[in-house]
Amino acid sequence: MRARHVTDQLWRGFGLVVVLFMLAPLFLVVLFSFNESALTSLPLTGLTLHWYEKLFAYNSFWPALKNSLIVGFTVAVCSVVIGTSAALALSVMPPRRAGNIINALSLPVMLPALIIGISLICYFVRFLDIRLSLLTVILGHLVIAQPFVLLIVYARMATFDHAVVESARDLGASTFTAFRTVTLPIIQPTIVGAALIALSLSLDDFVITFFTIGGGNTLPTLVWGLVRTSLDPTINAIATLLIALSIGSTIVALQLSRYRG
Amino acid sequence: MARRWWPIAPAALVFLGLFVAPLVYFLIISFWSVKARMMRPDLTVANYIATWVEYGDVLVTTLAIAAAIGFATTLLAFGFAYVIRFKAGPLGPLLLFVTLITLFGGYLVKIYAWKSILGIDGILNMALTGIGLIDEPSGAFIYSTNAVVITLTYFLLPFAVLPIYGALRSIDDATMEAARDLGAKPLAVMRDIVIPQCEGGIMVAFTLAFLISAGDYVTPRFVGGGASMMGHFIETQFSIGFDWPMGSAMSFTILVTSLVIVMAFRALLRRAIRP
Repeated sequence: MRARHVTDQLWRGFGLVVVLFMLAPLFLVVLFSFNESALTSLPLTGLTLHWYEKLFAYNSFWPALKNSLIVGFTVAVCSVVIGTSAALALSVMPPRRAGNIINALSLPVMLPALIIGISLICYFVRFLDIRLSLLTVILGHLVIAQPFVLLIVYARMATFDHAVVESARDLGASTFTAFRTVTLPIIQPTIVGAALIALSLSLDDFVITFFTIGGGNTLPTLVWGLVRTSLDPTINAIATLLIALSIGSTIVALQLSRYRG
Repeated sequence: MARRWWPIAPAALVFLGLFVAPLVYFLIISFWSVKARMMRPDLTVANYIATWVEYGDVLVTTLAIAAAIGFATTLLAFGFAYVIRFKAGPLGPLLLFVTLITLFGGYLVKIYAWKSILGIDGILNMALTGIGLIDEPSGAFIYSTNAVVITLTYFLLPFAVLPIYGALRSIDDATMEAARDLGAKPLAVMRDIVIPQCEGGIMVAFTLAFLISAGDYVTPRFVGGGASMMGHFIETQFSIGFDWPMGSAMSFTILVTSLVIVMAFRALLRRAIRP
């Protein structure tokens, strides 16, 4: 009994170490965005909002934020419409067949973003002969955001009572009316959650954006440029904003979709 | 029949039109040639031969580093998922929450975080000189293979925890209790009950960690320095070299060799749990 107690303590200690490993680096990035010294090193020299002022006064920041938001919201809306539609259809199929289709559609998540990015640039520029723009970035993000929406909504539909939709149909509602008045209100929190996950994915993507954007910046490509040229806490300030945006939307998404792993 | 399929059509269109078609076109390009800086349709394997001749050693290094990251990430992820499921008690949901929020904590942000921890003026060096463990800041932490392994393991860990936890969640406590009551040692319970039932989750975690690190180029460039990986050389074919056919052949070479290793890992795992 005693031996088992000790191993339990060891497991808990290991869990604590992993939690620290996961949180400490992000915490340090946020901490140094408020530190006076221009060096990101200990000890702390005092609190300041100077780095945020410098960031907001930076010419390239606002266009990059605008681009990020345009791309992010378009990707969120499109991937939710496409992904939910597919998830609903898959939820009434035999689970085995649905599982196979979902596995296939999830392949883009497994592939390195570099390969997706460069195959897209060849395809857009050489094969389709279209100019790179925010549109091509949006198309690129759809490829990686769609599987997440599909998986989240499909998981929700596992506990969905299809009988309520059938009764609506029996009472004369069209497929669309039944969806709008019955299915949608029930799964709405999950859909909003999935949209926010798609938004965070898009806001965070660097590699695919880098290849498909042509000119201009989004927040991650701006960070890339900053990290390459300088190392001052302005980067910590923009990184903190990115963390706040993506973690904030993830937390809201989790609350709404009640997704628990 | 048609009514049941049309809602999937847009998703299938995105998948086929923006993922499969670009990849197929990209594969075709790998057999093209470049003359006077212009791509020409061709049917040559010269690019693949050049990949092995010029980048053979880089390929091996990349696969070795990716394997190290794959093992480290899967092992840590399994341990952590195991703690969430069986050992953390009421703290389990909180640990899962930490995993989920760090999932989207930002790819560049995470790399930058480790750059500022491991760098010469970094937090680790300041802490070590501060307590007098080393005399002056050391450049040994950053721009090394270890830095790449740590940073990518850090980035991939939450992605690896989720599929393993998903598999562990469906294990019935009663089965484990029964095994223990019948006198099975903890190690035997782990080997004969826990691991076989989360084989799928372990495979997904390893595959994800291995493939993504084999194709990464941002981490090696920021924290790797001398540790040159394949992704770096593929990216330069597009940003500086403009030799797309060569870049394409390199991409498919690393992709196929990575898949061979993933399949080997799968076979090893199968053999280990079914003696």
